[in-house]
Amino acid sequence: MKILLAEDDFASRKFMQKYLDKYGECDVTVDGGEAVDAFLMALEDEEPYDLICLDIMMPVLDGYQVLKAIRSMEKERGIEGDKMVKIIMTTALNEEKNVRVAFELGCTVYCNKPIDQEKFEQVLSKLKLV
Amino acid sequence: MAEDFNVEGMLDIFLFESEQLLDNLQDIVLEMKDESRFDDDSINEIFRVMHTIKGSSGIMMYEDITTVSHKLEDVFYYLRDTYPDNVPHVKLVEYVLEVADYISGELEKIKEGGEPDGDSSKLVAEIDSFLTQIKTGIIDSGEDLPPENEHQEATQFYIPAAPGEASKYFRITLHFFNDTQMCNIRAYQAVYELKEYAEDLIFSPEDIISNEDSGEVILQEGFRILLMTKSDRAEIKSILEKCSGVELVDIKESTAQEMMLGFSDDVIMEQPSPIVIALDDEEAKKAKEKAEAVTPGDYVVVKQDVGKKKQIAKHTKGPSKAAFMSVSVEKMDQLMDLIGEMVIAEAAVLENPDLKVPGLELSNFQKAAGQLAKITSDLQDVTMSMRMVSLQATFQKMNRIVFDVSRKLDKDIELEVIGENTEVDKNIIEHISDPLMHLIRNSVDHGIEDKEGRKAAGKPKKGKITLEAKNEGGKVYIIVRDDGAGLDKEKIYSKARQKGLIDSRSINEYSAKEIYQFITYPGFSTNETVTEYSGRGVGMDVVVKNIQNINGTLEIDSVPGQGSEMTLKIPLTLAIINGIVMEAGTGLFVIETSLVKEFVRVNEDMLVHEPNGEKYIMIRGECYPFMNLAKRYNMMSTESETIEDGVVIVMDYDGKNICVLVDKLVAQQEIVVKPIPNYIKRVRGLSGCTQLGDGSVALILDLPGLMLGEEKVK
Amino acid sequence: MAEGQILFSEDNLEEGQKGKYMTFKTGNEYFGIAINYVCEIIGIQPITAVPEVESYIKGLINLRGKIIPVIDMRARFNIEPLEYTDRTCIIVIDVKGTTVGLIIEKIAEVVTIDDEDIIPPPSLTHRNTSNNKYVYGIGKIGDQVKMLLDPEKLIKDEDMSIMGSLADDDADANEE
Repeated sequence: MKILLAEDDFASRKFMQKYLDKYGECDVTVDGGEAVDAFLMALEDEEPYDLICLDIMMPVLDGYQVLKAIRSMEKERGIEGDKMVKIIMTTALNEEKNVRVAFELGCTVYCNKPIDQEKFEQVLSKLKLV
Repeated sequence: MAEDFNVEGMLDIFLFESEQLLDNLQDIVLEMKDESRFDDDSINEIFRVMHTIKGSSGIMMYEDITTVSHKLEDVFYYLRDTYPDNVPHVKLVEYVLEVADYISGELEKIKEGGEPDGDSSKLVAEIDSFLTQIKTGIIDSGEDLPPENEHQEATQFYIPAAPGEASKYFRITLHFFNDTQMCNIRAYQAVYELKEYAEDLIFSPEDIISNEDSGEVILQEGFRILLMTKSDRAEIKSILEKCSGVELVDIKESTAQEMMLGFSDDVIMEQPSPIVIALDDEEAKKAKEKAEAVTPGDYVVVKQDVGKKKQIAKHTKGPSKAAFMSVSVEKMDQLMDLIGEMVIAEAAVLENPDLKVPGLELSNFQKAAGQLAKITSDLQDVTMSMRMVSLQATFQKMNRIVFDVSRKLDKDIELEVIGENTEVDKNIIEHISDPLMHLIRNSVDHGIEDKEGRKAAGKPKKGKITLEAKNEGGKVYIIVRDDGAGLDKEKIYSKARQKGLIDSRSINEYSAKEIYQFITYPGFSTNETVTEYSGRGVGMDVVVKNIQNINGTLEIDSVPGQGSEMTLKIPLTLAIINGIVMEAGTGLFVIETSLVKEFVRVNEDMLVHEPNGEKYIMIRGECYPFMNLAKRYNMMSTESETIEDGVVIVMDYDGKNICVLVDKLVAQQEIVVKPIPNYIKRVRGLSGCTQLGDGSVALILDLPGLMLGEEKVK
Repeated sequence: MAEGQILFSEDNLEEGQKGKYMTFKTGNEYFGIAINYVCEIIGIQPITAVPEVESYIKGLINLRGKIIPVIDMRARFNIEPLEYTDRTCIIVIDVKGTTVGLIIEKIAEVVTIDDEDIIPPPSLTHRNTSNNKYVYGIGKIGDQVKMLLDPEKLIKDEDMSIMGSLADDDADANEE
């Protein structure tokens, strides 16, 4: 599986990268802008990502903006249903408001930090990623 | 619904909404339990509740809750279209309640930080076969089976943060040695070291890397850090100790709120306050965003109608939104404390000894003082009213208990509820739920006769329990009445004798009410066989004890053959009472004014000494029990006072008069009840202490405790 | 709270308050309490007696709105009581969240006693043992001797005896 991780905090990024590595090849960006670029690049190379993990609080573009951008680019290209990339928001923000906004923008999973690894795995298998 | 309170955590919202839905569900079901079938409205409502819970639990990945609610949703899906005759209504009621119980139980586990691991398979299987039965019924009735209820799997998921120990917050200041070079870089090293342990961290000045001048600021003012971490203080301390150039490390405990405020202003809030204002203007929105999460169970205050509080606040949408405000319980308690302090301070000003100079012209002062007193008292009333919660929720629980217990005991009982909108202080509500539950169980179990018994007595088949609340004279009365067999005086008397709970007076020397009181004595239980629902070792004595803890009383009355009546009398509030301050020996005491009937000067001749040491006093031809408070507590002052110098307070205790001798009355005033410090062991007869206007401390007397103690001393 | 502060010196890390003791006189002896337990020292105040408590608990005082119990140290050490004078003080201490006032005859000064100058109390003693169990060490300053008190024990022991007495006479009226 091909994974994209966008996370600005170094320590979190290191941890997540290590954690995700076991599921597949994991690209890493440090801000939202790069994340969108990476997504587009992969799309153009016809090797799209299977999973994108987005932090919400990031420089340049925040997680919501990235999420919104990715979903609208997919729409433009007629990618829909199961073909759409699975997006997991990983964040410490746990307010219901944030979760609702993320769901409305089309994220697949909203995952609060610190990450509950057991549940994370459960979700991946539910999404048939592992 | 969540729009009004959207600063709460996702998980909190899920729990809160699910609980509300389940409460709602239970109400509907209990309302419909005596009907022959559910009506269309209730079917739709139950369907909707199950559908919602199914959906949200799906997102939360609580699979068993999803499965169970899905099953029940299916049942009502079919019933929505066709309601076959072969549906046993009571069975269905039971299934719905079982599902509600199961989900409530699971939610409780989640709330405690656990995993919802209850096995649902049996319940699901049962409902499944019930569903098959319904389907058969539909086909048999000649109707077409509606298309399968389409079940959409959740496509979006939420993972709550991994449970762990709670994060701690620290406010740290680092001071560097005066001659330290490049403080900013050293400060950054400290930050770097901390990062590994930090969950979140902010520091000031911020620009330590880019701005070399910041080093100078750090030297002068110190380097400040706000840290959120799971590590403890010692660990953090030792990490910072290792940093070079550090002269002094100052670590103070902090809070999440301080962390959120950051260094934007230097005001250190001691007790930051979560307040959410659902006003529609911009400012309020901003305030809302800044505010902390409000947890379920917090006060919700409604401006126009204090009575209906929480439910209205959480359900109402549209224009009335602007009238609600949600305030944390802690904040409310704090406000109450402050008002208490203010009442004391007010007394300290208005009763100030400096004003007692003879010939002082004070008319302007008195006018202003009167105004102040009025405002204080209004403020107190308003604050009290904000703390008031209706008994509705508590009473609804009782409905369920009557249903469950009566079914298990094969009795047919209806519960009538009167005055459930009566309000009492929040902290009192918490204390009456258990005693009330016990009384209701007692009524169902021991009060109402079994079916044969009622038939033989020529009573209607259906037993009736009435639960009534009313407000009278500053007290709340809660009455549990049943139309059962009533209490058997003789049986109670002989039982009490047999257990050695009373002395050898004959049954005729006691009034009926006194005999009924025996069942509240520790070690008494009239029912020979201990049943599952009442008399589980804990008896009426525990009920009475719980009620006494909130300064309440329990009165029992009964008419043989016609039923019994249990009356709980509880105060409206615990926080502030009107009291009379008095001196007795070396002690300073307060008694609640409402307990006092009159003050009497007495002389030695009025005393009657019994040979066994008990004393009575004759006042206007009546004989009352007598107690010398100072003697009772062994606090006699050195100079011997005669009874003629003292004042006797006639007090009403459970309908009986009792006379207490004290040396001197000091004042009557509003008293703020404070707990006696834990370090002092519990003294019988004292329920708290308070601070008077002059700063001295007085002890608050608790009459029931005092009486109990006295009996014990005997 | 001053507890979180630590002072650094070049080669020797030492907590700023370590080795500092508040000393006071009760009876004929001087006692010391580690300074980090001490919140403040106030003059003697009107005390409201509480019935049915140990004789050395003199009652309650009002410390700026907070009501705290006070212990008479003379009574605590079984020394005959003495009139309170204007030299009588109350040392307010905080032991793990429990705030208690100690009534003492005379406050002395804050002294620094190095660890090496503290010796354990002699195990064989003719002194009243109830006196000794709160004394964890004897500090020497020149030729003076201060008995160092362990406030935690002073409080904790009490708690235990309180529990005991509660269980005895409260059998019928115990809380839940």
